[in-house]
Amino acid sequence: MFAIITVMRFDLHIHSCLSPCASLEMSPSEIARRAAEAGVDGIAITDHQSARNAPAVAECARRAGIACLFGLEVQTAEEVHTLAIFDTVERALAMTDWVYEAMPRRVNDPETFGDQPVVTADDDIVEMEWRILAMGCRRSIPETSAKVRELGGLYIAAHIDRPNFSVIGSLGAIPSAPDGSPYFDAVELSRTADESVWAPRAEGYAATRSSDAHNLDDVALVWTEADCEFSVAGLKAAFAAKATRLSPRITSFVR
Amino acid sequence: MTFQELVSRVGGTVVVDNPDAEIGFAYASDLLSDVMGHCGDESVLITIQNHLNAIAVCTLAGIEAVVICHSRPVPDDMKDAAEREGVGIVTTPLSQFAASVALSDLKPSSR
Repeated sequence: MFAIITVMRFDLHIHSCLSPCASLEMSPSEIARRAAEAGVDGIAITDHQSARNAPAVAECARRAGIACLFGLEVQTAEEVHTLAIFDTVERALAMTDWVYEAMPRRVNDPETFGDQPVVTADDDIVEMEWRILAMGCRRSIPETSAKVRELGGLYIAAHIDRPNFSVIGSLGAIPSAPDGSPYFDAVELSRTADESVWAPRAEGYAATRSSDAHNLDDVALVWTEADCEFSVAGLKAAFAAKATRLSPRITSFVR
Repeated sequence: MTFQELVSRVGGTVVVDNPDAEIGFAYASDLLSDVMGHCGDESVLITIQNHLNAIAVCTLAGIEAVVICHSRPVPDDMKDAAEREGVGIVTTPLSQFAASVALSDLKPSSR
């Protein structure tokens, strides 16, 4: 008997043009094409506070022949960046609605923060998101973790090695519930993080490495591998077994 | 208080100059959403948020200058944005509390 082992290589943190800080060249169609060229099997698009480009991403990933999950980078009340990732567009949009309910009611100024276009799979602009996606919401990490679990998603602490907007940078450590249970399924190391330094600081969590790409050249520049199905359940099992392998880090600007 | 006076009070290093700024108020916070919600104009922001988004919040709130505590390095994109938006940046080895004490002549900022 042989077990069929599927090696999946994936990049779980990519911004589309909807993120105010991302390049406008980051349309779902270009991202999917670039990710397929770069040789990853699966991607997740995780815009700040919103999955409103998820419908276009689903279609573009299908056309490009790569697997895709749907998420958002929730900036919590603690001003910590966290990834909420789901199997379906519907769940990612339900998460988005929940985050939007707790966003400031102030209107985005594109001159200050950047444009936030919601687009189709064919790069047409549907509308400009009016909320300030660059700002945090009033949902805390414990609340967000509970909501992600309710919606059947993955919850990952983003770029824990960075001084700003990370659990360690903002809170000093990776928080867990009073009963000791974890809020997160895994942690993310950024493209430059030294795994030998930061994996031990992940305090027993599985590590992932993702690009946090804001422009096309950076899509799938770094990645994570696991022997699993590219789904929330598959990744959850791989994370629980700490069975992830990370790409080398980027140590210079020369590629 | 002038920008120059502010720099000398906190024993700071000028990263981005704002020589014409008139600063009457101060606000100390490291949560940018809190700054946006409560800090008014003609203010200095005392913070450790050495990040581009801090300048965006200054622009929205009308903040004239940022004091970055503990000598945290100011990244280039933050510096560029501050130059573009006319926001002064000064770094200081002081903590947020010590910088606040040094600037205690200023009134508490609010909106």
